[in-house]
Amino acid sequence: MAKVFQGRPILPAETRGQAVVTHTGFNTLACYYKSILTNASRAVCGDQDNPELFGRDLTDKIICLPKGIGSTSAGATWERIAIMGIAPAAMLFSQQIDSLSAAGLVLADVWAARRICAVDQLGDEFLNYVQAGQPIHIGSDGRVTVG
Amino acid sequence: MHLTQAEQKVLDGKQGPMLQKVMKTLVLYGEALAAERLVDLDWGGHFSIPFALPGVGPRLEMLDELAEAGLKTKYPFTLDPRAPADFETLGVSPEQKALFLDMLSDQPAYDARMLQLGLRDKNAYTCTPYFPEVGNIPPRGAVLAWSESSCVVYANSVLGARTNRNAAILDLLSNIIGKTPLTGFLTDAGRRANWLVAVKTTKRPNPQLLGAAIGIKVLEDVPFITGLDRFLSPALEPSTIDFLKEMGAACAAIGAVGLYHVENVTPEAVDQGKNLLRPDYRTYTIDDQTLEALFASYPVMWEDPQARPRKCMVGCPHLSLHELHGWTARICDALQAAGRDRVAVETILCAAPQIIQKFKEDEKAYGRLKRSGVKLTDTCPEAYMNNRLCAREAVVTNSNKFRAFTTARMYLDHDLIQIIVGGRV
Repeated sequence: MAKVFQGRPILPAETRGQAVVTHTGFNTLACYYKSILTNASRAVCGDQDNPELFGRDLTDKIICLPKGIGSTSAGATWERIAIMGIAPAAMLFSQQIDSLSAAGLVLADVWAARRICAVDQLGDEFLNYVQAGQPIHIGSDGRVTVG
Repeated sequence: MHLTQAEQKVLDGKQGPMLQKVMKTLVLYGEALAAERLVDLDWGGHFSIPFALPGVGPRLEMLDELAEAGLKTKYPFTLDPRAPADFETLGVSPEQKALFLDMLSDQPAYDARMLQLGLRDKNAYTCTPYFPEVGNIPPRGAVLAWSESSCVVYANSVLGARTNRNAAILDLLSNIIGKTPLTGFLTDAGRRANWLVAVKTTKRPNPQLLGAAIGIKVLEDVPFITGLDRFLSPALEPSTIDFLKEMGAACAAIGAVGLYHVENVTPEAVDQGKNLLRPDYRTYTIDDQTLEALFASYPVMWEDPQARPRKCMVGCPHLSLHELHGWTARICDALQAAGRDRVAVETILCAAPQIIQKFKEDEKAYGRLKRSGVKLTDTCPEAYMNNRLCAREAVVTNSNKFRAFTTARMYLDHDLIQIIVGGRV
């Protein structure tokens, strides 16, 4: 049965996709650095410290996370993966978006004209409910339907 | 977010399309962070984007757009350590050198753009811009838009300046506009502590281990640290500065700490004491066992865990002048005690170009270090390990940040000196 969650649309878009889920912080640079350096055609998560995501294909997926963590160097990462065509379809944050993810996603939107849909403040219940592989629909008003 | 008339004009494109694009980025960023408004920057930037490496540095095309529009930061800025190009000092093989040259083929163009956009000078590359020899030292209360996690935490905690943990590129764009969103560490409320970290070790803890223990626990929260003043001078003397720099870098890199307070030591803690704690703060106690267990938990990431160390790199973050003299004395004294003339492991100390220059002016100390075979560089150890061929080497260090981001193996200072002298782990 589908369940609906309401979040705050930061970079709104209507989109659908398959969930990948991390219950710990999402380290952008650690996840994507190897894919960028090797000019990969798919973004396979390279963050060894994240057992839920390590080795998973993140391309076009909907990443469900509490918030982003990691190096301030990650500002350019979102723009790069958007241009390479290996970005996720959306980022769904259960908490308020962190400054590093906010910067990177906005940079991709404004400077690469590649929108990666971003919704935050979906709540702990969202992250407890959503499972990897579930279908997700995101409305441009920040309404997220899981299942 | 509320904008002034002048800011709205920029956003409407009245000062040109490129500045409009920069302002649009800053406004979207501020709105995402739920900032009320923008505030003026009071001081120059420090940015964590020194390389033209894809995924780390901005695209050259973007820098071209900004430079061609004649845009420049409001104040001159400094950058993280320069890309590894002193191949002789770093002792790289021909294969490693070829890979570096390929990886950094855009670097000369990148450096030129940075100068156009407001880089202070050709030597303004270090992750310790706040040391007197380098001179990017914001006064207490100054509003900044810095990145580089170790610099952000130092500026906030030790200098009492105010900056959020900005992402690379956003830092540059904020400094072009000369404004940053009013949120987080820029506000009094955002600087209050939600953790009381009680240090109950029997001796002065290793700052890199202590920082990691704090960072893992509090993540991006603000810790108020008690019990540490037993081991630190109340005035910010060089040994205290060094300790705070090392501890901060570890808690910022291994957690996401952007501000800490140390009771009776850091400026806001001296003024406000425990009033900095929020009513709902949590407590975490760190003792000798906490740090021993943490250190023992670090895996060996070398391809061959039994390998003899190939290289030792110290200076992540870059060493202060005081630390440079300290390492020189300890290495050379240990060599003398062992009846040796030169180090057994290729050893490289990393510091800001201005600090290396100042150190070299002390001919006695520099001569002693040089005779021991130890080398000096102003590049970044982590950048060295970005080269996949270098990352396969058995590298030892005393830096927890360097360990966490690479395959380098961390040792405590005393043990590291024994390795440097004896050549074995």
